[in-house]
Amino acid sequence: MFTVKQSKPTFKCYLPPLQTDVKKNIQPPIKKLEAILLPGEIVVNEVNFVRKCIAAEKSHDDLWGKLICTNFKVSFVTHDILAKPRFQVANRLLGEHDIPLTCLDQVVTVNDAKGKKKVLGSNQKLKFNPSELILYCKDFRIVRFSFDEAGPEGAKKVCLAIAHYSCPADPQLLFGFEYIGTRYHGSPEERVNGACPKGGSQTPLFDCSSDWDREIKRTNAEEWRVCSINQGYAISPSLPEFVVVPASLADQDLKQYAGFFTDKRIPVWCWNHPNGSALIRMANITDPVQQKRLDQRICNAIIKSHPQRGEVHKSDLDKSLPSIQDIQNSLVKIRQICVIDPFEETEEKWLSSVENSQWSDYVRTFLKHSCEMVYILEGLNASVILQEEEDRDLNCVLSSLVQIMMDPHFRTLSGFQSLVQKEWVMAGHRFLDRCNHLKKNDKEESPLFLLFLDCVWQLMNQYPSAFEFTETYLAVLSDSMWIPVFSTFLFNGPKHHADTMTDFLEDKKITLGEGEALCFPPVWEWSQQLFIRDQALFNNPIYVGKGAPYVHNGTVKSFRRTKVSHKTYSSTLRGMPPALTRNGLQGTHGTLPRRNSLAAQLKSDLFQLRDVVESPSERFFRDWFSGPADPQGLLLPQLLPSHLPLWRLYFLRWVPETCIPRGGPITAYHKFSQLADEIEMLQNQLRHYKGPTPAHTPLASPTGPPSEPSRMYFKASSLYEPSSTPEFLSSSFPFTPVGNLCRPNLHGTPISKFLNGAKIWLSTETLANETI
Amino acid sequence: MEPSGSMDSLGSKRSSSRQASVDSLSSTSTSRSDRSAQANPPSAMSSDSVSTSAELSPELKVRPKAQTKIPSECKEEPQLLPGEAVQDMARDVMYICPFLGALRGTVTVTNYRLFFRCTDREFVLDLPLGVVSRVEKIGGASSRGDVSYGLVCKDMRNLRFAHKQSEDALKKSVFEVLMKFAFPVSNGLPIFAFEYGQVFPENGWKVYDALAEYKRQGIPNESWRVTKANDHYELCDTYPSSLAVPVNIPDEDIRRVAAFRAKGRIPVLSWIHPESQATVTRCSQPMVGVNGKRSKEDEKYLQAIMDANAQSHKLFIFDARPSVNAAANKMKGGGYESEDAYQNAELVFLDIHNIHVMRESLRKLKEVVYPNIEEPHWLSNLESTHWLEHIKLILAGALRIADKVESGKTSVVVHCSDGWDRTAQLTSLSMLMLDGFYRTTRGFQVLLEKEWLSFGHRFQLRIGHGDKNHTDADRSPIFVQFIDCVWQMTRQFPAAFEFNENFLVTMLDHLYSGLFGTFLCNSEQQRVKEELPKRSMSLWSFINSQLEDFSNPLYVNYSNHVLFPVVSLRHLELWVGYYVRWNPRMRPQEPVHQRYKELLARRAELQKRVEELQREVTNRSASSSERAGSPTRSITPVQTFV
Repeated sequence: MFTVKQSKPTFKCYLPPLQTDVKKNIQPPIKKLEAILLPGEIVVNEVNFVRKCIAAEKSHDDLWGKLICTNFKVSFVTHDILAKPRFQVANRLLGEHDIPLTCLDQVVTVNDAKGKKKVLGSNQKLKFNPSELILYCKDFRIVRFSFDEAGPEGAKKVCLAIAHYSCPADPQLLFGFEYIGTRYHGSPEERVNGACPKGGSQTPLFDCSSDWDREIKRTNAEEWRVCSINQGYAISPSLPEFVVVPASLADQDLKQYAGFFTDKRIPVWCWNHPNGSALIRMANITDPVQQKRLDQRICNAIIKSHPQRGEVHKSDLDKSLPSIQDIQNSLVKIRQICVIDPFEETEEKWLSSVENSQWSDYVRTFLKHSCEMVYILEGLNASVILQEEEDRDLNCVLSSLVQIMMDPHFRTLSGFQSLVQKEWVMAGHRFLDRCNHLKKNDKEESPLFLLFLDCVWQLMNQYPSAFEFTETYLAVLSDSMWIPVFSTFLFNGPKHHADTMTDFLEDKKITLGEGEALCFPPVWEWSQQLFIRDQALFNNPIYVGKGAPYVHNGTVKSFRRTKVSHKTYSSTLRGMPPALTRNGLQGTHGTLPRRNSLAAQLKSDLFQLRDVVESPSERFFRDWFSGPADPQGLLLPQLLPSHLPLWRLYFLRWVPETCIPRGGPITAYHKFSQLADEIEMLQNQLRHYKGPTPAHTPLASPTGPPSEPSRMYFKASSLYEPSSTPEFLSSSFPFTPVGNLCRPNLHGTPISKFLNGAKIWLSTETLANETI
Repeated sequence: MEPSGSMDSLGSKRSSSRQASVDSLSSTSTSRSDRSAQANPPSAMSSDSVSTSAELSPELKVRPKAQTKIPSECKEEPQLLPGEAVQDMARDVMYICPFLGALRGTVTVTNYRLFFRCTDREFVLDLPLGVVSRVEKIGGASSRGDVSYGLVCKDMRNLRFAHKQSEDALKKSVFEVLMKFAFPVSNGLPIFAFEYGQVFPENGWKVYDALAEYKRQGIPNESWRVTKANDHYELCDTYPSSLAVPVNIPDEDIRRVAAFRAKGRIPVLSWIHPESQATVTRCSQPMVGVNGKRSKEDEKYLQAIMDANAQSHKLFIFDARPSVNAAANKMKGGGYESEDAYQNAELVFLDIHNIHVMRESLRKLKEVVYPNIEEPHWLSNLESTHWLEHIKLILAGALRIADKVESGKTSVVVHCSDGWDRTAQLTSLSMLMLDGFYRTTRGFQVLLEKEWLSFGHRFQLRIGHGDKNHTDADRSPIFVQFIDCVWQMTRQFPAAFEFNENFLVTMLDHLYSGLFGTFLCNSEQQRVKEELPKRSMSLWSFINSQLEDFSNPLYVNYSNHVLFPVVSLRHLELWVGYYVRWNPRMRPQEPVHQRYKELLARRAELQKRVEELQREVTNRSASSSERAGSPTRSITPVQTFV
């Protein structure tokens, strides 16, 4: 079956006896091939002499080792070392070849000789001995193992175990519970990464009223108040315990209104524009009789909370945006063309295939709709209500995009994280269902969060210095969805989180002492996953931070940010030196072009002559686009389809054919990082000098606490050594296609027909019927 | 020329800060700044564009301040270049902008440009006449006496004007005057480049010296010599005078080889690998014909090329054409090398289509992007033009060549039919991948001078400088396509090229503008005959006099690193900064390069402060030596390497 003799396993004699269900100590494998386990992680099944396929065509690069299924991951351990360039960005929770079970989308077993294949689900039987296992992952990887030298029974067992354990019957069976459970059972040394329950991250989680209070103050939302009627989830099961409501509405009224909303989700405040306009989200009103009266009351209250009594615009997202199923279907298509279909075959029709997937279209639709909301808030000085039936899906995307466009705070790392916390986690986005962690209901699965990240990437791509973080950050964040240890992505809302925890404690008979709490780390505790050094990949070296010097044409200008955060981030004052705000003149609307009879007459035969009378919103956008953008001001995306490309790093990072060696945007990032690092060094030197010469003018604004370690991943090159682009950089960096995308061999087998039939994402039952 | 261009495009507005506009500007600046020369170089430029731009957006009133600042701008006439003269002027002309609607103003026609200034608001259109491909009179017979003219331009836009029929039937329309000067060659007039009197500090004609470039590559060496056989273009009138050929082939044999190759374009060396000695050689198709004619000398010649590289016993012949086309050429006496006749040679067809297919593809592309992009089917519309697919095939061919030479250490022979279109694209792109020198600004100029200009890419015919025959089948955007390929490479390797996008756009603008002599004529022989270096300015004179505008701050000298771009539609993009730049909605993306320069300025400022403080501290510690020790800890000066 395979031709390359020398790659046969040579370590037979070191094999440990087959072990199942044995808890192991964490030890670096010296000679034995053993899984590296986290606290609470146990080996379920394993098989030796497995070949991990590296390239589809040839096998001489393949790795030999042991395939292990634990209650957390599919692990492949090997002594072989990948020949390809490696770099030291490692996930602390996962080995190089590991895949969390929650990341598996489909487990496919193949018997080449018999021409059989089967998509495995939970508790299924397999009537043939698999010669191959193909794992389709939710992060777009396709990993393939070959069992041609492994024991057939062992291989079968591991496959079944993987299939079974990747479909937990209950959220409590997700590995995260074992993981945090052991913190209170296991010995202290076993605590990985020394994470403490809530510390570590600076990100406000919006699980207490003070976080909301601060947000109200930060945005000057004086006429809004924190309301605690939902404490203990007394009113709505999906809203957070604390919500912000118009100051003029009393708790009593709100309690009364709540009954008329889906899921008792009363309208809640998201954000305030410096001009006083507010962004509000709410669910549908279920009782048509009450509809009008309620709408009126809500609107009045919101108007009252507006300092200029600005009016209220309501946008019904269910009517104007694609449904969550549409979005899921689109993702399936884009995944098909990006990683599943044979590369060469998709090449010719690539552009139209991308168009057919509609993914870019949806990205554009969400951005466009957000722009319209921005226009209402900023241009019309009016408040906006985002309405969606449940207020838990599309509203999350829209409200967070609007805030990112309008408020530079949310373009900082901690601001962005607090935004996800506020508009997604606390707002009750059903991460558990949308990620389909339990593989229970495919209809509930939808990549809304990925779509949101893609929209953010588009903004970042158009305004590279407006974000404190990088696209690597966005990609790592999206991958974290599939690691089931973070509170962020495990639950369907704060109440679900709380209830699940209570049940868990009861079931496990864990009693917590005074002041103790059993908590999942939020994903924002990046030290769980990455070493500090690697976290530097999140930092954008060209970020123009608030108060940071912004140099134009060689002269340094500082953004003045008045104490009151008022106005500073409105587009009316973009903080640009006056000479550059050419078109920033406000309110002086010139007359429209005069048109005499000749022009009128000609109009008919003119090609696509624009209708000269433009709407106020068109004028608003035209005006905004005519001036230079301030990275700390309002940001509007360019919506021409030619400006909304595919997010290559995310979608194509595993595809070996598209990996540009020593190329890609990362090479520019590398150069920028080095320069930024040098600037930091100089700033440190200056700070060092400040002591002896206090008379000297202080620095404009050092961007962090003094003498902190460099924020840059790539350090300034040493003095006389020319900075060249390191070998390991590629357009996929910090990810690598090697071993992560092995499209199955399709040639001539019945499988190829099957795969070409585009049925690959059929449900398990259908497929099972087909193969038996 | 661009000033003009840029102006009309709304894009020009933010010229100063945004890249695309900058592009157009700088080229603009050519015309403009030359006058004011070094006195007020870019600032003058940008300011004028600024004021212009302001008007573009209808809501904005003209700011009087801007006008007082640049008095010249209030005039109806453009600032003239040295050698430029006003030929005609007309008031009350309507420019029908596809984006802004009808604008009324004054049109001035000079021997170099069309200049339109709007009277109602600030708007300027400044168009070098060289970009005009044809002028159409539309609907002149209207009862109201209005005439309308459409200008189809070579740079991806169409302009539309209208004015009242003159009462005086004898008086010519300003656009009829324009036609005379837009097509000087057809009207027995000189191209403006011959009248342009600007003086630059550097002489761009000296950028390329064939012998020096051979020497840089180590030629002559034991296997290659430089022959004088073509000293007076007697061997091949479309080749340069000095050619590098295998050392053991005497000139008599070379003449026989020339007889066997189309247009006498024998295989000659373009590039030699400094280590393996594998070479890239170029030529035209062999005159095989239907009967399969052979030439002993040609076979021996190719054998000599192979023997010159000791590393490999094979020779790859890359025929750029699709095999069908190559076979069809046999009917016309041409064809391709048979592997029977050429031992050890392997023939590969690269499937690149001919100039007519490329012209049609770009024409379709123009329909898709100008004036507006149709949103719902953008990608499939783009796909239907096949433009990116052609780009892909060309880059893929160049990549195969580079890979054979670099990884296979094998010499290659590249040809198409005549060896001056596809062959030029392939050799120059593969050399760009193989040799870091060509990725510098001056190196790139050498590459163009060598592979395109000296080896006879027929610019005059392909572009049709000053010629009104717009349907000429010899016209084709082969050079534009090549620059697009280069741009694709700069996208994949943002730090590997010393020049920036502005450089590429400026080059394409002056490909048409007729301001410089660089892209005139079809061959070195013609250029010598026309005495271009004496009678006109080189584009490189202009570019190299303000390199700052054209440099990529991210450039890292990769020196010996070979670039292997990914040739896949997943990475190839439409070059919006060139093809879509007239669309006012195409706000250029925030220029990262600008930000890099800001950071450089910031670093310089900090360095200065650190140095000052250092000096202060040293002084102080010198005066009060008791404090010695602490802050004197020598701080390594951080070097500036950009």
